[in-house]
Amino acid sequence: MNQAVISCLHANLPALEAVLKDIELQGITNITCLGDLVGYGPQPNEVIELIRDKKIPTCQGCWDEDVVDGLDACDCSYPSQLAEKRGHFAHQWTTDKLTKENKDYLANLPYSIRKDKCLFVHGSPNSQHEYLLPDMDAFAALERVENARAEILFCGHTHQPYIRELADGSIAVKIKNAAPKDIQEKEIQLPMRRIVNAGSVGEPRHGGTKATYVVHNEVTNEVKIREVEYDLELTCKAIIDAGLPQIFAWRLKNGFEFAEQAEDASHVCER
Amino acid sequence: MIERWALVSGLKGDLDTYELIQKDLKKTPGNITLFVLGDMIGPEKNCNRLLHRLINPKSNDLQPWCIYGWWEEQILLESGYRGDQRAETLRINKGEEVVKSLTNAVDKSFLDWIAALQFGFVELDCGLIHGSSKDIGENLTLDTPPLTLLDRLTRLQVNRLFTARSKEQFHLELTEGTVNSEIEDLNGNRKKEQKVPQKAVIGIGAGKNYTLYDVGTDNTQFVQAGYKSEKRIKGFGML
Repeated sequence: MNQAVISCLHANLPALEAVLKDIELQGITNITCLGDLVGYGPQPNEVIELIRDKKIPTCQGCWDEDVVDGLDACDCSYPSQLAEKRGHFAHQWTTDKLTKENKDYLANLPYSIRKDKCLFVHGSPNSQHEYLLPDMDAFAALERVENARAEILFCGHTHQPYIRELADGSIAVKIKNAAPKDIQEKEIQLPMRRIVNAGSVGEPRHGGTKATYVVHNEVTNEVKIREVEYDLELTCKAIIDAGLPQIFAWRLKNGFEFAEQAEDASHVCER
Repeated sequence: MIERWALVSGLKGDLDTYELIQKDLKKTPGNITLFVLGDMIGPEKNCNRLLHRLINPKSNDLQPWCIYGWWEEQILLESGYRGDQRAETLRINKGEEVVKSLTNAVDKSFLDWIAALQFGFVELDCGLIHGSSKDIGENLTLDTPPLTLLDRLTRLQVNRLFTARSKEQFHLELTEGTVNSEIEDLNGNRKKEQKVPQKAVIGIGAGKNYTLYDVGTDNTQFVQAGYKSEKRIKGFGML
């Protein structure tokens, strides 16, 4: 049985509609969303309402949390002061636009969703703001999955889809400063685990303009990254008409990879 | 001259133990730097005399370099130094009486000094913290999974991590290891092998049990204040 995992919709209704259509065409009814329904994009209420109408289980993303609880990430979340200023503007714009009912919906989203061996989070099991990048330290990546007691960790936040399998791991340890007869050494075998990043429906940063999501076969464990074309012009026009920063439309149209990602993406904001 | 660190924690207001450690260290050869890795305070006894001594060392005292620990975090929470949060974990686990005992044990005039303490020090390639780089309340012990230990070392970008929270004394080295990863993205597939760099986690003990670390040789000595230093005989716990 296939399940679809979507993430980072970012108030981009045409992209979400196109992705949901693509999922429907494959006959998939089991969908999970990894949050960031809002932020950057021009249709926050419409996107939330579509997710609610479809009753898609969703976890809370960092933008969803921030529009409810106020900004709690430090300036490390942005690559520059200009980007931070734009982000804060979009935050305020989104907060002003959202209906109370939709804010309540975002406020009550769970931090994570667990289905058997799969754990679904926005950023990482530690934080909605932590980026699990495809080439991050392999042991740290494995730790995130293992300490969350999952076999497959589904995440988003980076806007770059990937599947990473961590296997054949071991760590050898030795006690130092013990009496010679008591010196102990042992080797611990590490389990095989996977991290699946669903990419982004509404604001791709993989170097192209297509929306991305993933399909996971729960029987074979096979995961496929899907790319979906959508009416980009429609979203770009809506961004400009809404008075949001034009650069949001510009980078969507060009599929820029590193538009808003923090310079040190491995940094975990402690705020 | 041998460069040594003395690593102390969990004094919890016990000035007598602190004086005993200071006395020990005066007899210890080498150039010694004294680090106090938190829990200078606690709810059991009045902590004001110890705090005063740490802030105003006697002329022949080794200067203590202090960071905050779990008990300092609790009093800062309860005293409003962390916004709206209060010491709820302590309140739930130990009860209102312990919260009151803690706030009564420390004069308010010391709170600004406590609040100005750092989470930890990074000296050379070593991290000196109370709990872990993830959480001040995290116990790192011999039984902590090596993957977790490696992660806590990586977060701080250090090769040796000195921790106090567990109150245990141990020196655990991560000697070798590997993990293979295969990444598939829109650009295709790539495989990588990553090796474990040599790293260590050292539990420094608490109260009278403290640790001497020889910076030049990377050797630890586990010491009990007032007694001769001893090599620690300790194996792995139950798996």
